[in-house]
Order: sequence, then structure tokens, then C-alpha cells
Amino acid sequence: MLDWLKNINKDYPDFWKTYLSKFEEKPNRFVVFSTETSGLNPIKDVILSIGSFAIVNNSIHIGDSFEAVLLQYIYLHDNGLSNEFIVESKMRKLSEPDAMQAFVDYIGNAVLIGHHIDFDVEMINASLERLGCGRLKNEALDIDVMYRKLKDINDKQFSLDELSDIFKLPKTYRNTPSEDAYTIALLFLKLKSRLGIK
Amino acid sequence: MNTIAEHIADFLKEYPPFDNLTFQELSEISANIRVINLEKHKTLFQINDVLHDCFYVVASGAVTLSVISDAEETLLNKCHAGDVFGLRPFFAKNNYMMTAKAREESIVYGIPIATFRPFVANNPKVLNFLLESFASNTWNPKDKENFRGKLASDNFFYADQKNEMQYFQSLAYNRSPLIVKVTDHAKEVALRMTENLSTSAVICENYLPVGIVTTTDMCSKIATGLFPITNTVDSIMSAPVVTVAENVSLAEAQLLMLKNNVSHLCVTQDGTDKSAVKGVISEHDLIVAQASNPGVLIKEIKRSQNPKELRQIRERLAELIQNSINKNIPLSHINNIASEINSAILKRAVELSILELGSPPARFAWLSIGSQGRKEQLLITDQDSILVFEDVLPDKYRDIRDYFLKLGKKTTLTLEKTGYELCPNGHMGSNMLWCKSLTDWTKQYDSWMNTPGENSNDLSSIFFDLDLVFGEKKIFETLENVIFKNIENNTLFFDFLGNDALRKNAPLTFFKKFVVEEEEPNKDKFDIKTRALMPLIDGARLFALHFNIRGLNNTYLRFKQLAIIDPKNADIYLNCAEAFLILSRFRVNEGLKNDNSGQYINLDELTKLDKEKLKNAFIPMKDLEELIKSNFKLTQFS
Repeated sequence: MLDWLKNINKDYPDFWKTYLSKFEEKPNRFVVFSTETSGLNPIKDVILSIGSFAIVNNSIHIGDSFEAVLLQYIYLHDNGLSNEFIVESKMRKLSEPDAMQAFVDYIGNAVLIGHHIDFDVEMINASLERLGCGRLKNEALDIDVMYRKLKDINDKQFSLDELSDIFKLPKTYRNTPSEDAYTIALLFLKLKSRLGIK
Repeated sequence: MNTIAEHIADFLKEYPPFDNLTFQELSEISANIRVINLEKHKTLFQINDVLHDCFYVVASGAVTLSVISDAEETLLNKCHAGDVFGLRPFFAKNNYMMTAKAREESIVYGIPIATFRPFVANNPKVLNFLLESFASNTWNPKDKENFRGKLASDNFFYADQKNEMQYFQSLAYNRSPLIVKVTDHAKEVALRMTENLSTSAVICENYLPVGIVTTTDMCSKIATGLFPITNTVDSIMSAPVVTVAENVSLAEAQLLMLKNNVSHLCVTQDGTDKSAVKGVISEHDLIVAQASNPGVLIKEIKRSQNPKELRQIRERLAELIQNSINKNIPLSHINNIASEINSAILKRAVELSILELGSPPARFAWLSIGSQGRKEQLLITDQDSILVFEDVLPDKYRDIRDYFLKLGKKTTLTLEKTGYELCPNGHMGSNMLWCKSLTDWTKQYDSWMNTPGENSNDLSSIFFDLDLVFGEKKIFETLENVIFKNIENNTLFFDFLGNDALRKNAPLTFFKKFVVEEEEPNKDKFDIKTRALMPLIDGARLFALHFNIRGLNNTYLRFKQLAIIDPKNADIYLNCAEAFLILSRFRVNEGLKNDNSGQYINLDELTKLDKEKLKNAFIPMKDLEELIKSNFKLTQFS
């Protein structure tokens, strides 16, 4: 019950302290992100790659992005998987701790946007816990929830593909988290103006 | 490495001017792109907006570019996927000259100028492409052809609408042409032409035109000795004749003459040479017709020396208006031209007075108010004006005011001689009350607007339709600012105006019959001005002040602009604008018929259809009234 008291004096890594200090100000940007994971269990499974974009003033800033492939040697080895694909790819490769640090630096105090974002946040939190950090403090918005709120639907969930269809977005590539994040960002902009969020 | 930037680069490289750049360069550009989602009908930028720091490429959807002129939106271009627009920040520093609006839900890429500029500088092809598009005028159909699917121009010159007028202008021509028979001798025809002072003779057989003889034929065929003078006329006539239908317009006649290389056109009943001759149009008729075109009238006004000349010009304007109305030219159009000419006359009248009195001792402004201020004076109505002069030292005040009073008197007299009656309420610059210094006027407006109703005997809402006729623009602007400053949070004033607008009497009785005048001299006539037009004018003024619309005084344009500013009630405003035009047309027709201001409509002369039309035009007034009631608390004065 007094767990939180223990946490007060807990010594966090420096980047995490910087992260926490950013919350003294109000967020002025949104960060859309999407992760690719090895499975659906936050504890057993790991993040394989992350893609994300920032939205400022209702426009997606392509340059303000974060993309990384995580080198999960231990996980791959334990499960007897090949890392050939990762080695071949041209994407930026980082180890999990480096990637988490860079990602946390990147998002800052931004409002997070995603599709079924609770799972993505949970994956990040599990990973952060392994680094001795706390949980993400950012506010998070889920585009599926936003859509259901717009249409007043409670009994159904929508996949990213279904949402893209509804808003007539082209589904050409969409195999990496970056492309997912871009699609989510466009959907978010559309939903945002429809819901009248400032 | 940015996956999406590469996808965007992939997209861009298909379209000019990006096809001139390498993939590497495009990826670099793409990495700085901002992606914007535009909802349907969302405005990206509009006229007079400060320039954005980027230009735009349509990624999906469609964006329309338009200009607003005379409160009417004119579409310039439609941009589809791959089209570039909003290039203005590249080449110019002043604000946007057009409005970009999403026609459907669209995604656009904003490319920052700072990122793109180095590529432009290093790549002449890209620069040329951008320059070309910027310099071209998209309203020119030829250019449109060239640039379709490529680029939309940003540099836009709006073609002067007034030129159009000329094309519709009808033509006065000789309606009793000289008609001769095929068997007549050349000498006989020549004699008759001289007798009739005619330059042509139409040769008819069984009342149908078979040929035409003109002075040119006489000159080139008889006088040269090619044909003896005793020949019959059919040997020298030009045949077949070029025929046109009655009611031909100036432009069409001009075109036919050029096309057929003739100097005379034969007017026949149905426009073919198989019907009876109605008249002959000569080149000279075209020249005469051009003389009463608006541009010429304005030039003449500038040269006129006395009220008599001005009066003649004003009469020709009435003719021009009459013609235009018969030709079904849109009334808003005619209004524009008439108001231009009217204000030129007013201006000249002031100038003439100054010429006589010597140059003014202080700067001043002569302002039109009322219908002249609203630029709605199609018919000759009374004159309303005020005079504002700059503040001067107290010891000189008397002399200076005397000068301006004299100036006012002279000008109003000149205008009276021109045909504008003096205002019965004395709302004129020659009146001591309305010829004051700027400070006095500021005080006057302050007291009108802040304590309406207390000393409102002399307050008339026409004082809020101001237009500068002559003099210092600064003085006019200062006065305008006083008005708009006083409007802020001034519910009392709006309350007053609102009540004023609603006080006008209803046009129809309970039984949907016209309410007609009960007393002579206009017994049984319908007062279209106070019962139908004034409520619309007052309503438009009220809302225009409420929404801070400056520079638009015309009731029609005010409604149009209101529809843009207040889209919630756009339907009501547009209906009112339409109704206003219809009612104005009734008034103008009546006025032209009786040569007066057209205030009272003689209902007996209207057809049943016209009466219904008139009644229908009252319908939007009801909505406007409701809108006024719901927008302003009208409690304090009612």
C-alpha cells in the first residue's frame, strides 16, 4: 500500500528524470505511434520495431518522426528465430534500452495517438520496467474509441483496415509500423476535425 | 531513413516540377513535408491572409481556387492529385490573392519554402516551371489548356466586368431604309440616296432583299466608268445581302461586318433574306452606339463644364439603363455601372464648385449617404450628402466653415440642375447641420450611437451608409473607424436600429392583399420603397454593421457577403439578395415608365403574374425579420 512512498526515492535513469520534468508544461503536440511485437503478451513478448510521427497544428510533420528496429537477440535466440531479416533491413537498428531511451526522449510530454493504443503503451511500459523506469505518463487517445464515439457504436471494435476503408484511405503498403502510424495519423486528423477536438 | 518520406517522394516524382529532381533530392524534401487533412469545404487560406511558409501539393481529393469579387465567388481552378498551388510566397511578399478551399475531403502536402528554395535555385527547369505558372493568368482559356493538370496560377487579374456591358448593348439603327426595285437605274438610286442622306439602298424583289447598293459601290463601279450610269441597279449591287435579326447586339453586328467584310447589314424580320426588310445597320451606327458606352460617358463627365452638360449625360445614362434592362442584363451588373457614373457626376459637381470658388482652405471630404452612399441609384432620386472638413484653429473656423457651406450650396445647386432633387429632409452638405469639422462629426456619431433615442430627432439610419465622393480618404476612414469603434458591445444601438428596421409597415394585409396608399396623390398605389425595399435595406445595414463588414454598402452585396460570413443563415441572406433585386427591378421599371423615382407602383398596370412575383418577393422579408428579432434584444425601444 505504501509502494508509492518507496518509489519517491527510487533512483531513476537520467533520461527518465528528464522525461518526467517535461510534464511541467502542457503538451502542444501529438505523437502517433505503432509497434510491431512478437505476440500479444506484454510480459513474454517483445517489441520488434516502432514507427511514429508528430502532429503539430493539425499537420503531420514527416520530418519529426521516430523509426527503429529493435535488436532482440535474447528473445530471438530463446525462441530459435532467425535475425536475418533485421540485419538485411536499411532501418535504424537499436538495442532495446537505447531504443526506449530514444523513444522516451522523442515523445516528451506529447499526447499519444494509436490504434488500440493501450496494448502499445503496455508493451512500452513492460520494456521500461526492465530498465528500472516508471510507467508512461502521457495522455493517450485511441482512434478506434474516437471513431466509435463519433458514430455512437459500443458493441463493436474496428481494425485499422476497416477504418481505412471507412475513410477511403489507400491501403497500398501498410506492413511496417511506420506506415501504420502514418495511416493512424491521417485517420486521427480526420476524426479530430469531425469530433471538434482542439 | 524515413519510410513515409520515401513513399511521398515516390508520389511526387510523377508530377512536374518534381520530375526534374532526383529521388535523393525528393526524399530530402519529403522529410520536411507537413501533411494536412482538409475536411470538405474547409478553407486552407483565403484572400488577404498572411502568406504561409509553404506551398502545397494535392495528395488526394480536390481543392478549388477562387477569388471573391463583388461578393461573388468566382472559381479559378480546381486542383487534383499532383497539382501544385499556393506558390505566392515564392515570388511575392504581399498577402494571398485567392482562396483555396477543399471541394471534397482532401489531403495536401505542405512543402516549406525554405526547404524547396535551394532546389529551385539549382535547377533552372524547376524555376522556369514555377515562374511560368505564377505569371500566367488562368482565366485565359488558352493558358488553361497549357496548364491543365499541372499547375494553378496564383497571380490573378480579374477581368473588368464592365467591359461585358458593351457586348449586350442594343443598337439603334435606321429603321426606314431606302428600298429600290431591281429595275431602277443607277442614277435614280443615287439621286434618292442623296435625297435621303442615306449611304445605302436595299434592292428588293417582292419585298425580299436581294442586294444592297452602298456609296462604295457607286464610287468604285459608276464613278470609275466600269459601268455606265444608265445601267439598272442590279448590275452594281452587292449580293446576297448579309442579313441579321432584329435586336442584334453591338458585338454581334461588329462580328458579322468583320467576318463578311461589309459595311452594312440588312435587318430582316427573322434574320434571313427570306423575310421582309426592317432596317439597315451601317458602320456609323456602331460608332454611335459605342458613344453611349459607360467608359465614354465617364470621360465626358470629366470634361463637362456646366450642369447642363452633366444633365445630358445623366439622361443618356437613363437610356443606357433602360436598354440594359430590356436586354435582361443582371441588375447587379447595371447597378455597378450606374453607380460608377453617378459617382463620377457627383465628383465632377464638387470639382466644378471648387473651380469657381478657388481651392479649399482646408482638407475635406464630401460623402454620399443614403441611396447614393449605398450605390443603388439607378433612377434619379434625391441627393443626400454630408461634408466633413479637418479640424482648424478656432479663429479661422468661421471663415473656413463659410467657405465649405458655400461649396456645399454650389454643389447641391449644380446637382439639382443635373436632375437630382434636393433632399426634403435637408440631408445635404449645404446644410449647417451637416457641414462640420471632423471633431464635431465624431461627437455627433458618438452621441447618436451611444445614446440613441435620446436626441434621435435628427438621426436617420442613412447616415450609416457612407461613401467617399470627393476629398481626403483619411477623413472618411477616420469617420468610419469612429462608427466601427462605437459598435463594439453596443447593444443599445443595435436595439435601436433593429426596432427602426422592424417599424416599417407590412406590405400585405391580413388577407394577403397589397397595402395601398389611402390618400392622394398616390391613392391606390403600392409604396414599394418604404414597404418592401426599406426593410431589406435596413436589415442588410443592421447585419453588416453587426458583422463588421466594411467597404460594402450595396444592399445586394451586403447580403451576399453576409451569406459568406454567417453561413448558418446563408439561405435567408441569399433569398433576401434575390428579393432585393426583383423588387429593385419593379421599382426601376415603374420609374422609367413614369420618369420619376418609382416609389409608388401602380398595381392596376401589373399583370397577374407580376403581382404574384411581387408577392413572392416579400416572403424572405419575414425570415429576415425573425432573424433580427432572434439576434438582437429589441426591448428598450419597442
